[in-house]
Amino acid sequence: MKRTLMMMMAVVAMMSLAASAGTISGKVSGVAGESVVYVEAPAGKTFPAPTEQPVIDQKGLMFQPHIVVVQVGTTVEFLNSDSVAHNVFWPSVGGNKKLTHNLGTWPKGEKRPFKFDNPGAVPLLCNVHPEMSGYVVVSPTPYFTKTDKSGEYKIENIPDGSYTVTAWHEGAKNQSKPVAVAGDSKADFTLSK
Amino acid sequence: MDTRRQVSLFFAFVLAVILLTGSSYAIPAFSRQYGTSCTTCHIDFPKLNDFGKAFKDAGFKFPKDDETFIKIPPVMLGAPAQKDMWPHTVFPGTIPGLPAIGLRFNQFFQYTSGNANNYNIAGQSTGPYIPRTDFQPGYFSIFTAGNFGSDIAFWVDDDISVSGANANGSLGDGYLRFVNVSRFFKLPTDSLTLKVGQFELDLPFTQARAYDISPYDIYSQANIGAVDPAYPQQFVNNSFTLAGPGRGIELSGGHHYGGYRYAIAIVDQNTSNSAPTNYPNVPAPAGGAGYFSDSNFKDLYGRFAYRFNLERDPTSRHEVQAAGATGPRDHTYLTLGSYYFYGRSVQRTAGFLPDGTTPTVLLAREPFYRVGGDFDFNYRQFNIYGLYMYGHDKDILPFTPTDFAGPTGFISGSPATFSGGFIQADYMAYPWLMMIMRWDRVQSRADFLNEAGSTNFFSPVGSTRNRFTPGAQFLIHANVKASFEYAYRPQQALTYNLNGQPMNVFRTNTATGALEFVY
Repeated sequence: MKRTLMMMMAVVAMMSLAASAGTISGKVSGVAGESVVYVEAPAGKTFPAPTEQPVIDQKGLMFQPHIVVVQVGTTVEFLNSDSVAHNVFWPSVGGNKKLTHNLGTWPKGEKRPFKFDNPGAVPLLCNVHPEMSGYVVVSPTPYFTKTDKSGEYKIENIPDGSYTVTAWHEGAKNQSKPVAVAGDSKADFTLSK
Repeated sequence: MDTRRQVSLFFAFVLAVILLTGSSYAIPAFSRQYGTSCTTCHIDFPKLNDFGKAFKDAGFKFPKDDETFIKIPPVMLGAPAQKDMWPHTVFPGTIPGLPAIGLRFNQFFQYTSGNANNYNIAGQSTGPYIPRTDFQPGYFSIFTAGNFGSDIAFWVDDDISVSGANANGSLGDGYLRFVNVSRFFKLPTDSLTLKVGQFELDLPFTQARAYDISPYDIYSQANIGAVDPAYPQQFVNNSFTLAGPGRGIELSGGHHYGGYRYAIAIVDQNTSNSAPTNYPNVPAPAGGAGYFSDSNFKDLYGRFAYRFNLERDPTSRHEVQAAGATGPRDHTYLTLGSYYFYGRSVQRTAGFLPDGTTPTVLLAREPFYRVGGDFDFNYRQFNIYGLYMYGHDKDILPFTPTDFAGPTGFISGSPATFSGGFIQADYMAYPWLMMIMRWDRVQSRADFLNEAGSTNFFSPVGSTRNRFTPGAQFLIHANVKASFEYAYRPQQALTYNLNGQPMNVFRTNTATGALEFVY
């Protein structure tokens, strides 16, 4: 009897949770290729850091993938798969040049981790191959996504409420919009360089 | 000052900026092929970093896993599996997927010391006016380089247009290089490479691809002897300079980025010279016989150097680049080397057989050599290097027996020698700004004896030539560069009074700016 009661309470809780989670979808236009859309953190709200550690590879004189989106607190591993020496550094995080950092040099096949504790776009560079470019976009919440190549996106499982949603694209100015999430919500962005 | 001298002087001045500047090349074709910046291989183009040296050593390829870096796949000239069919098929190779062509243009602006016109001698015919400032177009050059597969590398560069005139340039280097042929003989990797064609000798520091505006004086030093009754005669008219390309073959081995490095070249002897009218103290050949190339004897060039990479970490020490705290960088290193060139300068002159009456052309092959040592030290952004050279021509004089109408043979005279070198320090203040200080010195007794006949405005007439040349180079982009240098030369004069004091003294200090781009 006690067990049945607990199961019923769990189902009710899940149903109520589902009822309060919505989506934000839309399109990012004005730019070509992949963009990033993420939800800014509501005041006073924090989120536990994920344990997953994405890998960014340096291969063929390129950062692969070119853009990685992570939540604040995520540790990213930087792998060197090339038979030439590389390094990884970034001049700023979210435009803040005080957060510049250089990871140094490591040989082929090895990884070097870094935990991103500040939100914003992190331009990845290699100081011996200046044409190499990549980005880590650090989202302050777990609600983020990359658009497809046509600019369409959808972020799911966002608790109902009022948020600020930001769109980012390489080389373009960020654009933020207030969005009230209640079920399916829409937010389109038009970015410009 | 006679007309010939005036013309020569003016000609020398106008073209000096251009012709005395070293040809320099970066390789945009490789940027396109690999999708990478010039700075992958160059510090300040065309100065190579350690990776660029390794790329060149490997035959214009990435030292490892080259195929994984190529963004534009090469065109296959036969499937790789055709190798198994050889010798019943043509061995498969490749050509670059894009025409491996780069182009370069440069231009100059020069400022010359105000008292340069003291070169004109009062009371004599008016000399040419030397402008204080001068704009000059430089080279428009084409170059192509790459790899045909099977470790066969190629290089051709040619100056299409020089000084704004069409098609008056010349071929620089043009060769095939068979990299690591040591593998066919079970020798250590890269211990033997064969180069065939026209190429710059494996000099300690390249002149053909130098990044300075003005060339190293010692590399362009010919040994033009002097015949002056007041001094021991030097019947030498050897136009050979180390700056000139050699035609022949070169065997080499080792790496420029660490460890040993050697080169042995056999090239056509390169002492061809016209009648030495520019050096009136050297008698013009009589009877139409002059000083021409004699390819029966091949000149020999040898070089050995060892580069000590001074990194503490043994792994990093043996890598192409050192592992710095903030990224890969060039090694801290010290290179010590030496080189030796041996040739024979041909002399022909009208004379007689021993009977004293039958005319003939007398021929002598006059041995000469150039020998020297060099060093190169690098620490982070600071690089200092230098070279010393000693030149020696045996000096074989025509000998005319008593009562004979002309020479019947040769005897040894006083050797014509010179010495000198340079020391240069580079400091990369920023990745786009290189500061340079250089000192050139050439000491030639023959130059001194020839002083009265010299028409080389930029060569002081004393026996010792010194030049301090501070400079700076700015990379506007990785392929666009602005350069500046100021050559500070000693005071000189062409005439002396009866007390031996110089008259109409002048300096030929020059400030030169250059803009160049490659694409």
